[in-house]
Amino acid sequence: MLLELKNIFKWVHSGGQRIFLLKDINLSIEEGEFISVMGPSGSGKSTLLNIIGMLDQFDEGEYHFLDESVHALKEKHRTNLYKEYIGFVFQAYHLLDDLTVQENLEMPLLYKKYKGPERRAMVADMLDRFQIVGKKDLFPAQLSGGQQQLVGVARALISKPKLLLADEPTGNLNSKQGEEIMTLFKQLNTAGVTIIQVTHSEKNAEYGSRIINLLDGRML
Amino acid sequence: MFKNQLKIAWRSIKKQPFLNALNTLGLAIGIAGTLLISLYIDDELGYDKMFADADRIHRINSDMKFGGPDRQLSQVSAPMAAAMLNDISQVEGVLRFRPWGTTSLNKIDSKELVLEDNAAYADTTLVSMLGLNMRYGNPDKALEQPNSLILTKTAAEKHFDPSKAIGQKLILNEGETYTVTGVIEDLPQNSFLADYSVFMSMVGYQDALGNEWGSHNYNTFIKLKPNTSPEDIAMPLQGMVEDYLIPYAQQFFPGITLEQFEASGNYMRYSTIPLLDIHLWSNRETDMSRNSDINNIYILSFIALFLILLASINFMNLSTAYSLKRAKEVGIRKTLGSNKKSLIRQFLTESSLITFGSLAFGVITAFIVLPFFNELANKSISFPFTQPIFWGLLLIAGLLLAIISGGYPAFFMSRFMPARVLKGSGDANVGGSTLRSSLVVFQFAISVFLIVGTLVVGQQLRFIQNKDLGYSKDQVLLIHNMNRLGDNVHTLKDEVKQLAQVSNASMSGYLPTPSFRTDSSYFLEGKMNQESAVNMQGWPVDFDYMNTLGLKLITGRGFDPNITTDSTAMIVNEAAVAVMGFTPEEVLGKRISRGVDENNLNFFTVIGVVKDFHFESMRHVVRPLSLQIANSDANLIVKLKPGTFRNTIAQINALWNSYSPGIAFDYRFMDDSFNEVYQNEQRLGQIFIIFTALSIFIACLGLFGLAAFNAQKRIKEIGVRKVLGASVGQITYRLSFDFLKLVALSILIALPLGWFAMDRWLQDFTYRIHIGLGTFIIASVLAIAIALLTVSYQSIKAAIVSPVKSLRTE
Repeated sequence: MLLELKNIFKWVHSGGQRIFLLKDINLSIEEGEFISVMGPSGSGKSTLLNIIGMLDQFDEGEYHFLDESVHALKEKHRTNLYKEYIGFVFQAYHLLDDLTVQENLEMPLLYKKYKGPERRAMVADMLDRFQIVGKKDLFPAQLSGGQQQLVGVARALISKPKLLLADEPTGNLNSKQGEEIMTLFKQLNTAGVTIIQVTHSEKNAEYGSRIINLLDGRML
Repeated sequence: MFKNQLKIAWRSIKKQPFLNALNTLGLAIGIAGTLLISLYIDDELGYDKMFADADRIHRINSDMKFGGPDRQLSQVSAPMAAAMLNDISQVEGVLRFRPWGTTSLNKIDSKELVLEDNAAYADTTLVSMLGLNMRYGNPDKALEQPNSLILTKTAAEKHFDPSKAIGQKLILNEGETYTVTGVIEDLPQNSFLADYSVFMSMVGYQDALGNEWGSHNYNTFIKLKPNTSPEDIAMPLQGMVEDYLIPYAQQFFPGITLEQFEASGNYMRYSTIPLLDIHLWSNRETDMSRNSDINNIYILSFIALFLILLASINFMNLSTAYSLKRAKEVGIRKTLGSNKKSLIRQFLTESSLITFGSLAFGVITAFIVLPFFNELANKSISFPFTQPIFWGLLLIAGLLLAIISGGYPAFFMSRFMPARVLKGSGDANVGGSTLRSSLVVFQFAISVFLIVGTLVVGQQLRFIQNKDLGYSKDQVLLIHNMNRLGDNVHTLKDEVKQLAQVSNASMSGYLPTPSFRTDSSYFLEGKMNQESAVNMQGWPVDFDYMNTLGLKLITGRGFDPNITTDSTAMIVNEAAVAVMGFTPEEVLGKRISRGVDENNLNFFTVIGVVKDFHFESMRHVVRPLSLQIANSDANLIVKLKPGTFRNTIAQINALWNSYSPGIAFDYRFMDDSFNEVYQNEQRLGQIFIIFTALSIFIACLGLFGLAAFNAQKRIKEIGVRKVLGASVGQITYRLSFDFLKLVALSILIALPLGWFAMDRWLQDFTYRIHIGLGTFIIASVLAIAIALLTVSYQSIKAAIVSPVKSLRTE
């Protein structure tokens, strides 16, 4: 088992009332799964993804990732944990505008203290694998949306995470570009990467092996 | 329309309290500082303007070399004035002063002495030529009679009701009796006579009447006829040398001609300086007032300009940076049909509101701070509330400031394209960042420059304070007015010497700190000609003098009371030995005479050479000097043992009272007297520090605002980096480093400029420091540290924000 959520609650206070963002989420995910999280706007999809990604905290419940109890970990350990095992892909790509494709790919490695030659080898490997060698010196603004997301996925994968979290990865793309990214996800999954994606699209959800439906913070 | 604009301007100012508070604070401080400096400069430039026809009054200077080093005096010989009035047709009037230093006055029926710090003999023309405001007495006749004097109102009040002062008798320096013939208004603080309160008639003063062209003791002013320039009289003025000085010299050196005089390397040059220039341009040995320096005015002008510039730059930088927030507003207004012009007008209204608000704050701040500033600068500047020109200038300054500071942001913002800024993603790049960076570099360059200046001034002052002066000024007590004690002086000295806490005591009116000076020509035996004259100070001292002041002998021996011939012995300093062309050993035993009058030769035998000690400001080189055993009883110099002084001073006071009831016991410490010489530099140092701190503060305000803006602009990037594993430390470093690069660049620009400017400032000092690498390192580290502190708050704040918040897309 890769991760397990037990009785997870998350709420915020608004006007003296507790508003639940997530209610009693129980979820266990095995290595190699490809999960699609679906639901209408405001149902808590992104919140769930952020909690799994350890970017956000929950108010009640337990979260086990590999053999660690995430809820009991200190901030620093949590950071180290997601740095090592989790990669993120965003709807708006969030590439850094001032950096070239190559530099964008290299950035996570810098924060993980890889040595120079090693970094170069890993970046070259990624560029090669995603067939974007020719674009390595371009800036994000010079790429199409699909290409930018390709770089975003490559950046998420470069430090070989066990889990890939994608928040509406095709939300800003046209259908053809979206299809390409989904095909890529499928290939990655086949190669052993666990993937959790948030999506609005039934079609994209079909790529996954399991679909989780959320409504008002509850799993259906 | 305008009312609507004003209303909207006020609302949008309120909407960004952080930005506008920074802007207002920066501008207000800049305005207050600039205003204070402007008032100071206005006061400095206004010196002596109050005197009648001040622009036609000039002072005669003399530059001379007559054996010894070159000298620049503000005084000429006594007969010069009459000669000029006679010989030069353009001269309408003359006025001479013979400064007399501290003077005591007492009423005939009172033993109580009242001391006045500065008195002077003055010509009858005093009141009429300067247009002094005479309260009581006849302005034209007041000084016509011998032994008459004029008092200022304050000085008169110390003795009697000023309105009844005329005709009263006062005893001057416990000697002759004078009649008060005039009371004038107190002299303005910003005039060369500010320190003077008593003027004695020169009519009965013997020294002023003779034909003595060889000594130079009279500050001589002339009034030129209208439409005459000083150049017109330059030739006849210099002609005085040949017409009077040479004939005078021939009495002692028969047959000497001007050519011979000049061939021997000596010279005498007369020149004039306008009265209005004296305060800022005259730095001569015998000025009547402690003058300022035009360089200080330049420096302060620059600082004032810097201050207001820094504040203005802040305004531009912050406004353009934060215009991102206004971009949407501009877009909407444009789509609703607003044109560029009305947008510019709207933004200018806003900047004017802020500028005039700041102006009000600044003026109030300056008003509140003015008393402290006056104390610091030793001025009595008042706020020119009643002068329309002040308000006019303020209004113009405010409008200029509003246009300069607000103009660029207004044009900048009005250019936003609606299609781009309305896309709504919010991260539309507003641009202008290169300009902002350059302005930050400029601001910090100014700050670094000022830091270098402050450090150098401070170091030079410390250097002066700690330099080996050649004498010891610490724990030395100077007791004044000893001559009042008459025959008891020596008894008092002996008794003071007996006190347990006193290590030594000596009596002389001649001190290394400001005191009496006597310059004379000396001649070596066998070289009694004019070419070999040695111009040298001759100080009458007693046997304890050298020990009391810790003067060091280079060779030979000190004065010895057991050797009777020491009454005609002389000790000279190294500078004198050098001028005579000897080594210290060679000069021992040489016989030197004061004057060359064959019938009246009095020879001194050199028995020792004293190490040069600084008896003048370090702006000047040490000049030749000799010590001679003679009676001079103006001061008792008391060297105290380390420890508390209070009891000892009380004991000396008691001794004093036992000999001279009724005469005030007046003493001071020698190091205070020493410090006074460097008061101008000390003040400049303090002013420098304060305004440097202010300008750095303003620059930091700007940097603080920009850092906040920058962090906000990069909030997404920070989020992405954090998700990808960046730590808080790495983010903070990254955000701060961008600013540090700018600061580093400004350091590179400012250091050479700072070195150049301060090196020039130091040239004024004969004894000065070298600007070392350390100064630059300290300045750089300081600038970086200040910038880092300013920026890191915002950087850390941005770095600890959770990425979930910053990366939310919906």
